[in-house]
Amino acid sequence: MKVILDRIRALLKPTRHLPFALLFGRFQKILSLNNQILERIGSMGDKLGGDYVFDRQYILSASQELAELVEALIDHLNVLAPGKYPDLRDVFRSIQGQIQGDLNGMGHVPLTDDVLPMAAITQDLSMAVGGKCATLAEIGTVLGLRIPEGFAVTTGAFRRFMAHNGLQEQLQEVAEALRLEAISEEQASQRLRQRIEAGQMPPNLEKAILKQRDALIAGPSGQGAVFAMRSSAIGEDGRHSFAGQFKSVLNLPGHALVAAYKAVLASTFAPSAIAYRRETGMDEEQVAMAVMCQRMVDATASGVLYSLDPRSSDRDTMMISATWGLGASVVAGHITADQFRVARATRHDRIREVIAEKKEGFYATAEAGMQRRPIPEPMQRIACLTPEQIQELTETALVIERYFKTPQDIEFAFDSQGRLTILQARSLSVYSRSNAATCDISEVLQESSVILSGQGMVAQKGICAGKVFRVDPDQDLERFPAGGILVTRFASPRFARVIRKAAGIVTDVGSPTGHMATIAREFRVPTIVDTGTATQLLTNGMEITVDADANKIYRGIVAELCYQELVEENIQDTEEYRLLRRVLKKISPLGLIDPSDKTFVPKACQTYHDITRFIHEKAVAELIDLNYYRHYDPGTIARRLKLQVPLDLILIDIGGGIAPGADHHEIGPDQIVSVPMRAFLDGLIGSGAWSLEPMSVDFRSFMSSLTRTAPSHLTTPQHVGRNLAVISAQYANISLRLGYHFNMIDFYACDNPNDNYAYFRFLGGVTDTARRSRRATFIARLLTNWDFSVNQQGDLVVARVKKLTLERMLEKIYFLGMLTAFTRQLDVKMVSDAHIDNYVAEFQRLPADGKMTEGLGGVTG
Amino acid sequence: MSGTSKTSVLILDDEPIVCKRLKPSLEKKGYEVEVFFKSHEADLRTTQRSFDIVITDLKMEGMDGMQFLTKVKQRNPQTEVIVITGFATMETASESFRQGVFDFLAKPFKLSEIEAAVKRAEAKLKSRPPSSEP
Repeated sequence: MKVILDRIRALLKPTRHLPFALLFGRFQKILSLNNQILERIGSMGDKLGGDYVFDRQYILSASQELAELVEALIDHLNVLAPGKYPDLRDVFRSIQGQIQGDLNGMGHVPLTDDVLPMAAITQDLSMAVGGKCATLAEIGTVLGLRIPEGFAVTTGAFRRFMAHNGLQEQLQEVAEALRLEAISEEQASQRLRQRIEAGQMPPNLEKAILKQRDALIAGPSGQGAVFAMRSSAIGEDGRHSFAGQFKSVLNLPGHALVAAYKAVLASTFAPSAIAYRRETGMDEEQVAMAVMCQRMVDATASGVLYSLDPRSSDRDTMMISATWGLGASVVAGHITADQFRVARATRHDRIREVIAEKKEGFYATAEAGMQRRPIPEPMQRIACLTPEQIQELTETALVIERYFKTPQDIEFAFDSQGRLTILQARSLSVYSRSNAATCDISEVLQESSVILSGQGMVAQKGICAGKVFRVDPDQDLERFPAGGILVTRFASPRFARVIRKAAGIVTDVGSPTGHMATIAREFRVPTIVDTGTATQLLTNGMEITVDADANKIYRGIVAELCYQELVEENIQDTEEYRLLRRVLKKISPLGLIDPSDKTFVPKACQTYHDITRFIHEKAVAELIDLNYYRHYDPGTIARRLKLQVPLDLILIDIGGGIAPGADHHEIGPDQIVSVPMRAFLDGLIGSGAWSLEPMSVDFRSFMSSLTRTAPSHLTTPQHVGRNLAVISAQYANISLRLGYHFNMIDFYACDNPNDNYAYFRFLGGVTDTARRSRRATFIARLLTNWDFSVNQQGDLVVARVKKLTLERMLEKIYFLGMLTAFTRQLDVKMVSDAHIDNYVAEFQRLPADGKMTEGLGGVTG
Repeated sequence: MSGTSKTSVLILDDEPIVCKRLKPSLEKKGYEVEVFFKSHEADLRTTQRSFDIVITDLKMEGMDGMQFLTKVKQRNPQTEVIVITGFATMETASESFRQGVFDFLAKPFKLSEIEAAVKRAEAKLKSRPPSSEP
């Protein structure tokens, strides 16, 4: 309703009669801002690639500068279309607020449901569910391992609970008193905890928790379900180590969940946690606690595994301690456990076992809570894990370790059906014990024998070592061993099936933007593709070390390199990377795609990119609407250009671009007298590039349907014509939306070379990232060969050329026309990298005169 | 001291991420690296021993990078200093070069860029006649 009223108001407002030159100035400013914004978005995205060193300050200032540009863009559109899009500013403020929340860090609580099932949780939600919960959820969803059924009560719910009970104010008072040292940490803790435990649940929150609980009970074998409520604080598993400071309540019957939830919340303010936060300079008011509710596993045996022993200098073994019944965390110190030391290397030989005498075990029961039960005599002195279970456990631990790239501390259980469940996993701090005298990585590397170096392309960085497993086409993948390095002739997405087991991947042929590479990145498996000769040099069973950071493959296991990789913090997991990823989520994705769709409205904009796209589209439409349909400025005439190809183009003449006496509504190309515009149209239509479509007739008609904007008699002016050219005798500014991508071309050509320039911008959309970057690469290659100075960022290509003689300039402009015609179909067609070469070749065959093709000679390189 | 003939590098940046990235990558290239997040600690360290190359941020709490590098250069004029800063302006750049800074990199930079700068600084050090200091 508000929108409609705003519209009417805008229409009733007396039109300010800005001269066209001024409007056009704004329009050009919009195009230029548009470009700056897209370049910056691309540049921020580049920083995630791993090559750059950036810090928090960079994220702050880059976000700030980008916000200023987007706001300026909104201001400029508001001049073109006063008051027409009031929502745009609200949407901008909302996105800006969300980004600011991310930048403020700890205190930011993302907007999610109060309660989230584990299956819906990804690492990106770690600010809503805490690191512990997000990590476990990812082990379930990405790695496909068994985790307890359950759900998370988010940090947002925590905030709502606090607000519902007026506790935020109380918290501020206590925090202030603490700062002034008016009360002790114990006193502060007591006040807050009492209030929380006595607090009322917000009604919807309680309902949501019980609903999730009922869903779990309704599941298979729901009878007699018992639950655990575990803390999952923000930062608990990340930058700060709160290990063991917060409460977990185990073995709960279904009716006790709400009380337990409050008890876990209260532990947020345990004296030790308050003290820890004071030491590390974290604000008490910024604290937020998420809670993970899990169905307890009916464990027959359980325990803890360290994938690398933090207490010993032995780098080749894992440590497992396990006991009958519930896990070691539950019974810590109460019961002796079996100890197993197992080789990390494949086959995982047991190096040492110490079997304890296990007289008692703990078991969870719905009726009586946790029970201590005697272990039957024959089981007391035997190992509580079978060799097969140890094997499975060890392989699973390495899957988790390879994914998270750090040594792991894993809590596990085998249930009554013998199934392995991961209860919790976190990074294990293993301080590098290497010192310069005993372990010098650079010396070790110099002494290692290099098999391949710099030959392929890195698709996923990282380091791995293991035995080569050659995979031939059509070979059964069942035999692929856990921890093997997959070596193969061709990259293929069918390897997705074994990618979890693979330590690394090396191929002869393949592309870092292909499907397999995408999957390898998802699982963070170090991958080098396109080495050309890997299958000739690497034989089955050979031990190798793949350094996909340096694009090298070494003979044998370079243990020092693997170890360094393991103890180093994975760069993608640092706070800065996470923050930039979170911020970019609100900046970079493009959701607004189809301008003819009903959802192409300001309210649907979710990112800065969406806003930028919306404004670009509307600015072009506005200029056409004002001049062609509403004859806004009597001094400027807008006409439709009649062409033989399906391209609706509106021309606005700002001086000497069109022959005097031409029709005021529709003209043919012959009536254009603008010299550079004629050259452009010659390239666009006369060169034959437009019709160069080596595909089926059906596909051709599909393409032309994408190209044509809607016929004028069927639609209202607002929906027509996104193709616009503003021209004069020497100048043209052209905005074209061909298919789903944008071309913006701006040029000036006269007798004085110093004034001459041409600017070309191509921006894509719709298809997947790989295809978009292929297309951009193709365009950038052609432009470079035509002596343009080219800047490519993702699927944005910007090219410039200037200060050429009139004749040379017109050649360049002709080429741009030709290229524009040719590119209109590329986004749909470029399905493989091979297409780049095919299209470059096709482009060369264009029937242009010799003068025009001179720049294309070297294109195939 | 390590007792080896390795080129020594000190890195000072109050954002730990920068040190965290640079240390392992330079160590892998065979440098001996020490990192500091606080300028006064780095300052204290340079009174205890000298470094061949110093990489420092400019804007920091307490003693800023410019003061630090000036002191470093006074103590040991042989040390080559590389400035890394997120607030790169003509003024800070020219002031840095006046202070005898070897190179100046604007953050964010690529690992390969800083590695190249360190390599150039090392080459300059090696081309110099051996120091006559005691």
